[in-house]
Amino acid sequence: MANAYLAEIKAEVLKLSRMPEFAIPTLILPVMFFTLFGVIIPGSRDNAAYLLSTFGVFAVMGPALFGFGAGVAQERERGWLTLKRAVPAPAAALLVAKTTATVLIASVSLGAIYAVAAFAAGVELSPQVWLGLLLVHVLSAIPFVLLGLALGFVFGANAAVAVANIAYLGMAVLGGLWMPISVFPKIMGQIAQVLPSYHLAEIALGVSGAGGETALLGHILAALAITAIAAGLALLAWARQR
Amino acid sequence: MTVSDDLAPPILKADALTRRYGRKTALDGLELSLSEPGVLALLGPNGAGKTTFVQTALGLTRPSSGRLSVFGARPGDRAIRTRIGVMMQDTDLAHTLTGRELLELFASYYPDPADLDALIERCALGSFIRQRYGKLSGGQKRRIQFALALVGQPDLLFLDEPTTGLDTEARRALWAIVRDVAASGTLVILTTHYLEEADALADRVVVLKDGRVIADDTADGLRTRMGGAIIECVTALDDDALNALPGLIALSRSGRKLRLQVSNAVPALKALFELDPELSDLGVAQPTLEDAFEALTGQPQTEGA
Repeated sequence: MANAYLAEIKAEVLKLSRMPEFAIPTLILPVMFFTLFGVIIPGSRDNAAYLLSTFGVFAVMGPALFGFGAGVAQERERGWLTLKRAVPAPAAALLVAKTTATVLIASVSLGAIYAVAAFAAGVELSPQVWLGLLLVHVLSAIPFVLLGLALGFVFGANAAVAVANIAYLGMAVLGGLWMPISVFPKIMGQIAQVLPSYHLAEIALGVSGAGGETALLGHILAALAITAIAAGLALLAWARQR
Repeated sequence: MTVSDDLAPPILKADALTRRYGRKTALDGLELSLSEPGVLALLGPNGAGKTTFVQTALGLTRPSSGRLSVFGARPGDRAIRTRIGVMMQDTDLAHTLTGRELLELFASYYPDPADLDALIERCALGSFIRQRYGKLSGGQKRRIQFALALVGQPDLLFLDEPTTGLDTEARRALWAIVRDVAASGTLVILTTHYLEEADALADRVVVLKDGRVIADDTADGLRTRMGGAIIECVTALDDDALNALPGLIALSRSGRKLRLQVSNAVPALKALFELDPELSDLGVAQPTLEDAFEALTGQPQTEGA
């Protein structure tokens, strides 16, 4: 049984690593944008700690939405998921394995951003704060994985990629991952309230101390509520399939 | 305590098994009990309920009413699934994994998996087992899927159109393995539209129509039950004249060639020669499984469903 989980994780990691069309944009884009906005643009180093907090969420969002959303949709269409139900694969193995693979890929992306932040942008944080930030970023995968799962069960393979792209960029911009939502018109700030990306970024900012005063507890509760809703959606979409 | 209590439960047993999809009835009170290892060919025209039956046995769909038990338990139980192997028809596996990686993944699901090197050798996958699945030809993909169905050393093996896309050599090689697996104590349930395949492999043939079993016999039994002979010839006679032939069961034409199914060859041939001494290109044959199938279902066995 434990064997089945390990084999499933190995298969998922191999699959992801052999899809350059997926791996390259989700790995390269976050660190590239971070370097641009946080290091290269003159004066941007002042924002580096802020952007480190928010781009960490961006780095996790990509693999979760694409790996789960597009991946599940494709495997469902190909009959792979049906076959998995007929063979004695543990029901949770696929979910655990895909989540692990997502976190592993996201960790590479996070590592690159952290390295640029520490060595090129001059961000100085205590070891505890780095660890806290890492924890927040990795846990951020959960709501995005669940949203990706729902998306993968609802949409066909081609539509799922399109929807994942829109969700990816939409949640990045409107959630204030690229620039603070305070620079946007007020209405967009209200949209941010329902986006997991916004609340997760605010939690990360609270931990890194780069966002000034934040209502940390409020954002944690909001993130938990959105995660619960995403779990409900994923369950509903999964049940509808069967 | 009756005698049957002492016996192991049947491998597969259907009692009044019914499955409806909206107003369509796919399985209509199907009764079937399978206790012996061997190869069972499940035949039937499109929409007869073959796929629904297999999906119910795999626990992928539930009966609307009635019961289906596999090894005495509910289909879909994990303990049951460890004893089942399956090769489905419309399945595409992960393109980026190699055949070997797929086998390793599937082997991890079973308590007592086959030795992979031996399995690869047995299924003759060696030349392409380290290539990515997505790069393989259709036939090679089918052969990987076949090996995946065997990896758990199943007691019950479902093969849905296993030889589609295979060349003659690969098809015969697969048949040899199926015979072997069946001889070692596995019940193989084969759905196929190649009646030649059913004829070559099956110890037992079950024909479904409209969600029910309409015949359950050996291939020879089906042919014998149908009886008679097939006469093929070229003649100037018209249908009215031919309808007067003794023991005529069915008549069909393709081009100039006439095909007659008769209950007894000798009197029919005598009458034919009397009516048309110019008769040519004569051939007389035993009915094939195909003939038996057509006589039973009223339609030729066709691909799909």
